[in-house]
Amino acid sequence: MSAAAASSARLSMTQVLLCGAAIVTLSMGIRHGFGLWLQPITMDRGWSRETFAFAIAVQNLAWGLAGPFAGALADRYGAFKVLIVGSLLYALGLVLMAVSTSGLAFTGSAGLLLGMAQSGTTYAVVYGVIGRNVAPEKRSWAMGVAAAAGSFGQFLMVPVENWLIGGFGWQSALFILGCLALAMIPLAIGLKEPAQAAATGAHHQSIGGALREAFGYRSFQLLMAGYFVCGFQVVFIGVHMPSYLKDQGLTPNVATTALALIGLFNVIGTYAAGSLGARYPKRYILSTIYLLRSVAIVAFLAAPLTPMSVYVFSAVMGVLWLSTVPPTNAVIAQIFGVQYLSMLGGFVFLSHQVGSFLGVWLGGKLYDSTGSYDVVWWIAVALGVFAALVNLPVRERAIERPALAPAAA
Amino acid sequence: MMKLHRVLAWSAATVVLLVVFAAYLRPDMALTLANQLWACFQ
Repeated sequence: MSAAAASSARLSMTQVLLCGAAIVTLSMGIRHGFGLWLQPITMDRGWSRETFAFAIAVQNLAWGLAGPFAGALADRYGAFKVLIVGSLLYALGLVLMAVSTSGLAFTGSAGLLLGMAQSGTTYAVVYGVIGRNVAPEKRSWAMGVAAAAGSFGQFLMVPVENWLIGGFGWQSALFILGCLALAMIPLAIGLKEPAQAAATGAHHQSIGGALREAFGYRSFQLLMAGYFVCGFQVVFIGVHMPSYLKDQGLTPNVATTALALIGLFNVIGTYAAGSLGARYPKRYILSTIYLLRSVAIVAFLAAPLTPMSVYVFSAVMGVLWLSTVPPTNAVIAQIFGVQYLSMLGGFVFLSHQVGSFLGVWLGGKLYDSTGSYDVVWWIAVALGVFAALVNLPVRERAIERPALAPAAA
Repeated sequence: MMKLHRVLAWSAATVVLLVVFAAYLRPDMALTLANQLWACFQ
């Protein structure tokens, strides 16, 4: 296929960005406010908080575990079909979540179904379309736009869902969100790629071959290690910081404002990281993000704890929150090309989710055994330095495939 | 013309972000969030 033909076979960048960003806004946003349902559901159903928390833990694990499969299906059969199935699962999961009357059914719907739905509608799948349809020099920026949209969805949907619960009741609010999830279907049409577009980036590599190549490649291993740390730090802070602030005697308003600041600056940080990735080596950007996280945590722990120190820490951590997403995925596209970008992105995200799980679990475990969060904070600092170091030797050049064409599409 | 479009787009984005941020600071929202956050640890 000629370059001109390949170019005409691609979707327009504006179309990909508008539809992709809207899908990620919805898929990342809807799930982000689930904590608001904890009290009404547990009170109405007479369940313990553990029942609710277990379902959300299963959701996070299912999201991570299903990610590589959803990614592989998107790479093989097209993101459009995966997005349609993901949207339907999302809507079904929300409706079943509303009508579940047993803990098992709730875990199946809010946990398993919604976790699988997220794997089919979030970054990895949308990034595959961006990778195949946006020119390499604009890819990092475009991924930054999509990631910022996801961050904005998280930021936006918490107050929206709070308003829905207050106005319509928790059950009807879930039905409304189910309808909102179906809005991803028409948006997915905008990401339906012409068959030729997939061929443009193809190197006739098998899935097994792509996996062997990626997992045997040092830079991929290093990126996975870095993303593990990202998950650990972000989820530990997100889940345990309110408890930490309470232990330190701060008022609930401080934690609420901190949450809002993280959300606001997260949007700015993810966009900025994607934009910077278009101009500077992404390994340096990633390394700087992880190092700054450690510096911010040390400064937060060392400074006297006041509302202002919490706000400054939240703003800084907000900028660094999901800013690892665009450069990490852009490096993967740069090294391995775009044929299996969604699948490889799914595997890196699985590493992120394992880190998230450990961040939540170790936070609680070490708090119970030591009576404070000090040890976990310092683990987060050490891991940040580790991630900063392991990202430095990442090779961003396209992998050499002697028998195949160069990877960079 | 292009510059004007950019300025307008950035201004619109800033306004939307600030409106959402303000929504978090509304007393009813702050109360709900505080209740939810604190309830997890009581």
